[in-house]
Amino acid sequence: MNLMQTPVSDTTALKPRITASGVQVYYDTNHALKDVSVNILDRTTTAFIGPSGCGKSTFLRCLNRMNDTVASARVEGKILLDGQDIYDKRVDPVQLRARIGMVFQKPNPFPKSIYDNVAYGPRIHGLARNKAELDEIVETSLRRAALWNEVKDRLSAPGTGLSGGQQQRLCIARAVATGPEVLLMDEPCSALDPIATAQVEALIDELREQYSVVIVTHSMQQAARVSQKTAFFHLGNLVEYGDTQQIFTNPQDPRTESYITGRIG
Amino acid sequence: MSIALLTLIILGLSALGYLLGRQRALAAVEGDARKLHSLPSYYGASVFLFTALPAFLTLLVWLIAQPLLIERSVAGMITPADIPAGTTLSLVMSDVQRIAVGTEQLVADGMSETELAALQADPAGLRSALGRLGVSVAETTTPNVLEAAKAYRASASLGHFGMIVAALALAVAGLLISAFRVTPELRARNIVESFIRVLLIGASTVAILTTLGIVFSLVFESWHFFQLYPAKDFFFSLTWNPKFGGGSSLGVWPLVWGTLYVSFVALVIAVPLGILSAIYLSEYASPTVRSVAKPLLEILAGIPSIVYGLFALVTVGPLLRDWLAMPLGLGASSSSVATAGLVMGIMLIPYVSSLSDDIINSVPQSLRDGSYAIGATPSETVRQVVLPAALPGIVGAVLLAASRAIGETMIVVMGAGAAAKLSMNPFEAMTTVTVKIVSQLTGDTEFASPETLVAFALGLTLFVFTLGLNILALFIVRKYREQYE
Ligand SMILES: Nc1ncnc2c1ncn2[C@@H]1O[C@H](COP(=O)(O)OP(=O)(O)O)[C@@H](O)[C@H]1O
Ligand SMILES: [Mg+2]
Repeated sequence: MNLMQTPVSDTTALKPRITASGVQVYYDTNHALKDVSVNILDRTTTAFIGPSGCGKSTFLRCLNRMNDTVASARVEGKILLDGQDIYDKRVDPVQLRARIGMVFQKPNPFPKSIYDNVAYGPRIHGLARNKAELDEIVETSLRRAALWNEVKDRLSAPGTGLSGGQQQRLCIARAVATGPEVLLMDEPCSALDPIATAQVEALIDELREQYSVVIVTHSMQQAARVSQKTAFFHLGNLVEYGDTQQIFTNPQDPRTESYITGRIG
Repeated sequence: MSIALLTLIILGLSALGYLLGRQRALAAVEGDARKLHSLPSYYGASVFLFTALPAFLTLLVWLIAQPLLIERSVAGMITPADIPAGTTLSLVMSDVQRIAVGTEQLVADGMSETELAALQADPAGLRSALGRLGVSVAETTTPNVLEAAKAYRASASLGHFGMIVAALALAVAGLLISAFRVTPELRARNIVESFIRVLLIGASTVAILTTLGIVFSLVFESWHFFQLYPAKDFFFSLTWNPKFGGGSSLGVWPLVWGTLYVSFVALVIAVPLGILSAIYLSEYASPTVRSVAKPLLEILAGIPSIVYGLFALVTVGPLLRDWLAMPLGLGASSSSVATAGLVMGIMLIPYVSSLSDDIINSVPQSLRDGSYAIGATPSETVRQVVLPAALPGIVGAVLLAASRAIGETMIVVMGAGAAAKLSMNPFEAMTTVTVKIVSQLTGDTEFASPETLVAFALGLTLFVFTLGLNILALFIVRKYREQYE
C-alpha cells in the first residue's frame, strides 16, 4: 500500500459536525452496534472500515435516521448534528435527511429521466422558485457529480439507461441537489469498475471542500486515498478512530493492525 | 375388456418395462452405475415411456376416430324415408347410436346373442326391452334405423376388439424393443429429456388449439347467424327486442352499452379502492395488520358471484332505490346499473388489490431507500417512485378486473335486471351481453333461428372486446417499458 498517496492535512483545527455518544443499535434481540462514540468533523472525509457485518452500515444509517424505516431496529444513545439531538422528538426525520444526503452501495436511480432524478429532492423540498432555478440546481449538481458533460444532451433520457458508474454519479448528483451538509456513502464504489471508482474518488475529494463526507469502504487503499479520518469497526464495536495516516502506519489496537495487514476480515 | 382395465394393463406393462430397463442397464455393467451413460432410473424411464406412450396415443386416436368412421359408414344405410319430417339426419343418427348402445347394454345385462337376434326381429319387443333400460325408441322408428343400429353395434364391437389388440401389441413391442436396446452407452437421459420436451410442447399445443377451436366455433356459428339476420341491423340497430315467433330486432348496442356502463361503474369503485388498499397494505401496514387484512380481503374474492347477486338483490338495490333514486326522482327500480356496478365493484376490489399489492411489493426496496434518504415522505415516495415503477403491473391488474367485469353475469341478472335499454340514468334497469347470451339460449330451442344463433354473435362481440382490452394493455405496458428501460 502506497501511503504516500494519503492526503496529509491537519484536522485538529476543524470543528465536529456530528457528535455521536454511546450509540447502541438492536435489531430485535441482535445487538448490532455496541456503545459507539465518535466525532465526524466538518469538511473532512471519514472512512469507516471493518469486516462485513460489523455494523458500519448500521451506524451510517443512524446518522440520517434511515434505521427508522426498519421496523425491527432500535437505536439508543445520543447523536448531535451541530449540537442538536437528531433523535429528539421535535426533529422531523424527513427534514433531517434533506440535510444529510446518502449514497448507496448499489446505484439506485429512480425510473425517471435523468433530469427528474436530480430534480426529485429540490422539488419535494421546494428549493427552486421557478423552472430556471431548478434547471440551474440540476446543472450544478450534475457538474459537481462530474456527469454533466456526459448527459447534458439527453437529460430527458431515463436514468436507468446509464452505465453503472454513470448511475452512481447520478445518485451522487441526486444527493447533493438538496444541498446537504453531510454526505453518507455506503460502499459507493463496490459495484463500479476502476475508472468509475477513480471518478467517484475525485468527486469525494472535491465534495469535501464543502461537506463532511462519511464513506464506508472495504478497500483499504481507497480509505487511505480519500479519507483524513478513519474509524475501524469490529463485531459491533468501534475499535479505533483517528487520523487515517496514524491508523494505517501506527495502529494502537492489535485488532486494527490485524485487519489492515489482512489477518482478519 | 373396458378401457380402464386396458389402461391398467398398459401401465402395468410399463412399470414392468421400468424395472426391466433399470435392471438390464445395471446388469450390463455388473452393478457399477458409474459406467453407465445415465443414472439407472433413466434407463427404466426410457423403457417405460416407449411402452406406455405409443400404446396410449393409439388408444386416444382410436377412441376419437372410431365413432366418426362408423357413423360415416352407417349413415349410408339411412334413406330419406327414414327421416321424419321436422328432424334431420344427425338426429336420426343419434337415435341409431342410442339404440346400438342400448342393445349392447342388454347383452351386458345377460341376454344371449340368440335371444337378442330374436328380439331384433320384433321391433315392438325391442322397443319395450330398451324402454326398461331408459332408452326410449320412438314409434316412428323405421326398421331401416334398427338395421343401422345393428350394423353400428357390430362395427363398434369389432373396432373395440381391434383397439385392444393394437394397443396391447404396441405396448408389448415397445417394451421388448426398448428393453432390448438398453446398453451402457444408450443416452437414456437425453431420451427422457426429449420426451419431456415433446410433452411440454404437446401441453401448450393443446391449450392453443383449444382456444383456436373455441374462436372457430364462435366465428362459425356467428357466420351462420349473419346468414339469417342482416349484419347491418345487428351492428347498427339501437333496439333489442327478440321475438321467438320471428320479426325480432336484434341490435347489439343496448347490450354493449349496458355492459360498458355496469363495468365502468364497477371499475370506478374497484380501481381506486383496490389500489389504495394495496398501497396501505404494502407500504404502511405493520406486518401484523398485513397478515390479518390481506387474507380477509382475499376472502372477498372467494365469495361466489351469485352470493354477491343476492346481496345486490335484497340489500343494495332497495337501499339505492329508497335513499338515492326515489328522492332524486331518477326512478323507482331496485334493479339498476348502479346496484350491479356497485356490487360488482366490491367483488373486484380484491382482484385489483391483491395483484397490485404483489406488484408494489416487488418494487425494489433500494428505490424506496433512495427516496427516503433524500427526505421524501412515505406518500411522496409512493406517488413518485413506487407507483410509477409498479405501473405496468397495476395496469395489468386493472385490465384483468375489467375483463372480469365484462364477463360477469350473475350479479347483472340479479342486480341490473334484464331489460335491454340505452339510457344514461344509472338508476334504471339495464342488461348486458352476457345476460342476454344466457337468456337467448335457455329454453328448449335448437340452434337454427336467429334468436338463438345471436348468442354466438354476442359471444364473439364479447371476445373481441376483451381481446381489444388485452391488446391495449400490452400496448400500454410496452410503451411504458420503453420509457424506463
Ligand atoms: N435490516 C436489518 N434487520 C436485521 N438485522 C440487520 C439489518 N441490517 C443489518 N443487520 C444486522 O446488523 C449487523 C450489522 O450489519 P451491517 O451494519 O449491515 O454491517 P456492515 O455494513 O458492516 O457489513 C449484522 O449482524 C446484520 O445481520
Ligand atoms: Mg454494509
